[in-house]
Amino acid sequence: MSKSQHDRTHHAKKATGKGDPQCFKGEAGPAKFKVGDRVRIRDLPDIFYTRCQVYTRGALGTVAAVVYESPAAEDEAWDNTDKPEWFYSVKFQQKDLWPDYPDLYANDTVETEFSERWLEKA
Amino acid sequence: MSDKHKEDEHGHRPPAPMVDEVSDFEVLEMAVRELAIEKGLFSAEDHRRWTEYVHSLGPLPAARLVAKAWLDPAYKKLAVADGVKASLEVGVDWINSPPTGFGTPSDYCNLRVLEDTPKVKHVVVCTLCSCYPRPILGNSPEWYRTPNYRRRLVRWPRQVLAEFGLQLPPDVEIRVADSNQKTRYIVLPTRPAGTEGWTEDQLAEIVTRDCLIGVAVPKPGIKANAKRTVHPAVHPVHHDH
Repeated sequence: MSKSQHDRTHHAKKATGKGDPQCFKGEAGPAKFKVGDRVRIRDLPDIFYTRCQVYTRGALGTVAAVVYESPAAEDEAWDNTDKPEWFYSVKFQQKDLWPDYPDLYANDTVETEFSERWLEKA
Repeated sequence: MSDKHKEDEHGHRPPAPMVDEVSDFEVLEMAVRELAIEKGLFSAEDHRRWTEYVHSLGPLPAARLVAKAWLDPAYKKLAVADGVKASLEVGVDWINSPPTGFGTPSDYCNLRVLEDTPKVKHVVVCTLCSCYPRPILGNSPEWYRTPNYRRRLVRWPRQVLAEFGLQLPPDVEIRVADSNQKTRYIVLPTRPAGTEGWTEDQLAEIVTRDCLIGVAVPKPGIKANAKRTVHPAVHPVHHDH
């Protein structure tokens, strides 16, 4: 990544009047997952930056919504906006995240978002 | 230990001497801000406009959104489907209101309104930091940013809600929304009994900030966030701010 003349305002130029993540609409290609798909959260290396919480790694969840297109946080942290991805809102049963979560409250859930790279078909 | 910290003859501990204290984060912010202005990333004028914008924000537009949604089923549908569009009707333009014209990395333009039902109660947290729908809800309360709340809400939601005075029966699903990517959330609680025939203004008054985060539910007559009981410090230091 040697950008000798790096334009620090490229994001502002792209997003002004459109908003972020709206400005990346249409750049991610077809979405790999759909609402209702069972997915497992991958455990990728994250030595520099990530927004994929460790408590979700390896857990099984259900795609609740296909939400927007955006560069993954792990890329965007370095101002790399070349490859936007689809983002998904994934719902987990608390029991699947914390094995000792009380059975009495088996209905309880957590919902949070992931970029496509973090998901694999379960 | 110096004399001034000893208890006086009445058993009182006199206050520590007043100092103008600035936190490490404030010093860091000023240093980075000055560097950014020198480098030309933004101007002092930009910074002033941004600060004034941030200080103008508060939870009233979100309360208004909820009240409108309770009264108008079509608006509720819009709010749940497209929070950014629904915000326009309560005077919040996520994209163009902030002086940047495109939101910020903390306030991405993607609001989702989480609709409670009698059997589903939503509550919002950002386990990573303190992401919060500031354009429509203002600045987050101190407790929302604490590691304590952020760590425990996803793990023990019922216990944390109970600490806020909200105890829910087991058949109500508690759904924690962890806003760690670009979506920001507010909760659309169920309309409480005893508000039949109320106007939008009356309804908006009982939708407090805590109700919009999801740690409280609206109740007729309750127009303010509950006071949190605070264990008094054993060795208090008094601040002006």
